Amino acid sequence: MTIDVVFLFLQQGVASGLVIGSVYALIALAIVVIFKTSEVPNFSQGEMVMAAGYIALYLLVFRSMPLWIVMPATILAAYAGAALFRRLVLNQVARANGSPVNLVIATLGLSYVLRGFVRQTGFGDTPRSFPPVIEPQSIMIGQAAVTTLDLVILTTAVLVMAAFFWMFKYTKIGRAMRAVGMNPKAAQLVGVDLTRIHMIVWGLSGGISAIAALLISPKVLMTADMGSIVTMGFAAAIVGGFTSLPGAVVGGFLIGIIENFVGLFISSRAIVLAPFVAIMLVLVIRPQGLFGGRVEIKKV
Amino acid sequence: MPDLLELTGVSASYGRIQALSGVSLSVPEGSIVALLGSNGAGKTTTLNAISRLVPVQSGNIRFDGKPIESMASHRVVEGGVVQVPEGREVFRDMSVRENLEMGAYRRKDPKSVRADFERILDYFPKLRERLQQRAGTLSGGEQQMLLIGRALMARPRLLLLDEPSLGLSPVLVQQIFGFIDRLNKDGLTILLVEQNAAVALSTSSYAYILENGELALQGASKELRHDDSVRRTYLGH
Repeated sequence: MTIDVVFLFLQQGVASGLVIGSVYALIALAIVVIFKTSEVPNFSQGEMVMAAGYIALYLLVFRSMPLWIVMPATILAAYAGAALFRRLVLNQVARANGSPVNLVIATLGLSYVLRGFVRQTGFGDTPRSFPPVIEPQSIMIGQAAVTTLDLVILTTAVLVMAAFFWMFKYTKIGRAMRAVGMNPKAAQLVGVDLTRIHMIVWGLSGGISAIAALLISPKVLMTADMGSIVTMGFAAAIVGGFTSLPGAVVGGFLIGIIENFVGLFISSRAIVLAPFVAIMLVLVIRPQGLFGGRVEIKKV
Repeated sequence: MPDLLELTGVSASYGRIQALSGVSLSVPEGSIVALLGSNGAGKTTTLNAISRLVPVQSGNIRFDGKPIESMASHRVVEGGVVQVPEGREVFRDMSVRENLEMGAYRRKDPKSVRADFERILDYFPKLRERLQQRAGTLSGGEQQMLLIGRALMARPRLLLLDEPSLGLSPVLVQQIFGFIDRLNKDGLTILLVEQNAAVALSTSSYAYILENGELALQGASKELRHDDSVRRTYLGH
């Protein structure tokens, strides 16, 4: 490999990595915000992405609705679905038995339900493609080739993340979410309605998943198993420290870039291994993740 | 004075462990009432039942004449019953300022919230110096002040204080109790849970003693201080 090729690959790897990484970052953010406020890893996050993708596909292709209706409708549907799942199912499970394991199993259950539902409706029986939302044109950035769609994906993802961080840091509801994450008992004692905050957190997580779905669907073939993209989100979350929102974002971009480097420098067949190698490296070298706080011992 | 808080036959449990059985007590408006007892007697459970963090199995809790035993916890706070929890239950990664502002979470009168904020900082000048500091880095005494300040930001009518002296030096205990006295003189009604019976009996006007989740003894604090069994068991002389 000559030095010119190495440079070319580095540029291409970073460019493509940032684009796909921005979607991983969104999914990681959706996972971490739930984990931070309820300490439940949501194993249905991938299926929430998948289901939102199919909602968009259905509205756009089978109902011929214009894009400016399809996008907000998909996001709203995902928000409402996730918030209702939290309220109707998880609240009930939590009340019946305090063990967090049951909550995790309930999220696994939701993932099967969503996948089964998409298969049942017949949309998921063949791989489908999402119609191109904008005419893809190639653009050169340095020596890296990207498309206009790529730029739209990256820009949108970054804007969504910025809006989310602003909400989390500066609004009253965002502060209440942080309070619940730090100390749910104290949050209740100052009058935070836990049920409501949990619903909003799940709703936001569903909405972010839907945005990730809208961004990624035009680039991949859609199947009922496309939720497996969540592996990358979990990898990003673990690399970032699992309780850190900025960590989730950095982790997402890192995983995207690593994945592209592996594909370019090693072999495209090794790509599937990249996230797992990244997870193991992080767990061995820095178990708390890049941005994870000090390990705190909780008084039980 | 009419009773601001009234518990009648309140029972509560954590899973299979019966924590409270048939506890009745009342807190007259404007008073300080103490709830004493050893570790695990049910003092904190009583406060958590009032704050609606623990479900009430039977019995009634009335605040200002209205039943609150099946209300949601945030409604109770809205009504003016605010707890200062035991230990260090601050929002660790928030600044002192954010912690205090969280105390006013349910209030919709930003102008008087700001006035209360200033008033509380006048009470606790230490907190004013540390407004931007992370709450988790405060000392034990400062965290206790922050907890009381946070509760006051909700504009309580009844303050539930859980072990305010726990883990503090004698000087700080004196300071905190001096402050509790002052709040009471300013008109705040207080239900005080304490293991430190000596200081609690000298601050309160009436006291209840819990044993194994049941009321064992009650009376005017002055008289309990001279009661032989109380002296032997709780005052250690």
